[in-house]
Amino acid sequence: MLTPSERERYDRQIMIGQIGEEGQEKLKRSRVAIAGAGGLGSPIAIYLTAAGIGMIRMIDHDQVTLSNLNRQILHWGEDVGRNKVESAGTKLRNLNSTVNIETIAETITEGNVSQLVEGCDVIVDAMDNLPTRYVLNRCAVEKKLPFFHGAVNGFEGRVMTVIPGQSACLRCMYRGQVPQEKFPVIGVAPAVIGSIQATEVIKYLVGIGKLLTNRLLVYDGLKVSLTEFSVSKNPNCDHCGSLDRKE
Amino acid sequence: MSVKVHIHTTHRQMTNGLEVVEVEGKTVRECLSHLVSQFPGMEKALFAKKDKLLNNVEVYLNHASAYPNELLKPVKDDDEIHLLVMLTGG
Repeated sequence: MLTPSERERYDRQIMIGQIGEEGQEKLKRSRVAIAGAGGLGSPIAIYLTAAGIGMIRMIDHDQVTLSNLNRQILHWGEDVGRNKVESAGTKLRNLNSTVNIETIAETITEGNVSQLVEGCDVIVDAMDNLPTRYVLNRCAVEKKLPFFHGAVNGFEGRVMTVIPGQSACLRCMYRGQVPQEKFPVIGVAPAVIGSIQATEVIKYLVGIGKLLTNRLLVYDGLKVSLTEFSVSKNPNCDHCGSLDRKE
Repeated sequence: MSVKVHIHTTHRQMTNGLEVVEVEGKTVRECLSHLVSQFPGMEKALFAKKDKLLNNVEVYLNHASAYPNELLKPVKDDDEIHLLVMLTGG
C-alpha cells in the first residue's frame, strides 16, 4: 500500500495510465542492484530513486576523483576522495528517504557477484569495463535475473536488455578479449544512456512497454540519432547457450 | 548497384570523413576488401589479421548482427553494412 505522502510524491507518474497506483506499488516492492556508481550509475540511480523503487543497492569499489566530476553527477567537489557508494548514498537518501539505499564498497568478482546481488530482482550494468560486465552477465543468466546493459564512449552509447532464457545475452556476440583502455566521454552521453536503462528497468518492473530485448539501441549524440540493430541468441554462447539447451 | 558501408565515428579519419562508403562485393568479406582498397587505413582499423576481424569490431548487415562468421555472409545490391565498435565505458 502506498502512504498518502507517497501518493503525493508519485502523483505525476501514477497519472500515467500504464503505471497507475498498481504499478507504483510494484516499483515500491522492487529491489534493484546497480553495478557501478559512476557515469552511468549516477543517472540510473537518481531516476530509479526518484521513481520510488523499494530498495536500491549500489555496488562500487572506487573513490571519487576530480576527473570523475565531468560526468558522474552523483558526486560533487566535496566528495573527492570519498567512497563513491557513500557519496551516492548520501545524495540518493536526500532525494528520496522512502527508498532503502544499500551501499557496498567492494570490487565485483566471479567469487562474490552472486552474494552481492542476492535478493535483488534485477541487475543494472553501470560498469566501465567489459570483463566485469561479463561477470555480471553470467551471474544474471545463472540466476535468471533481468540484466540491463549500457555502455558509452565519447558522444556515443548503447543499450540492450537481457531476459535470460528469452533473449540474447551480452556474451552472445563475444569474439574474444578487448583491450581495456581509458575511454573518452562527455557527461551528456551517460546521461542519455543511463536514462534509457532506467526506463527499461521501470518498464520491466511495472510490466509495460516493449523492452530492448534482442535489440541493440545505439545512440550517436553528435548526430542525435538512435539506430536499432537486431541481435540473436547464440546457441553456442558460453553463458546462456547451455541455458537454452536445458529449456 | 552497390552496397553501402556505414563507417563508425572513430574510423572516419580513415575515410576522409565519409560516413557512408559505397562498395561492391558478394560477401561481407568482399565488400570490406573493396572498402580497404579505397581507404587502406581501414585494414588496421578492422582486421587483426587476414580474414580475422578485431575483437571490438561488430558487423551488422541490414540492421541485424552478422555474427558469427560475419565475413562469409552473402550480400546483395542495395544491402547496408554497419561497422560498429564495441563500447566499454560507463
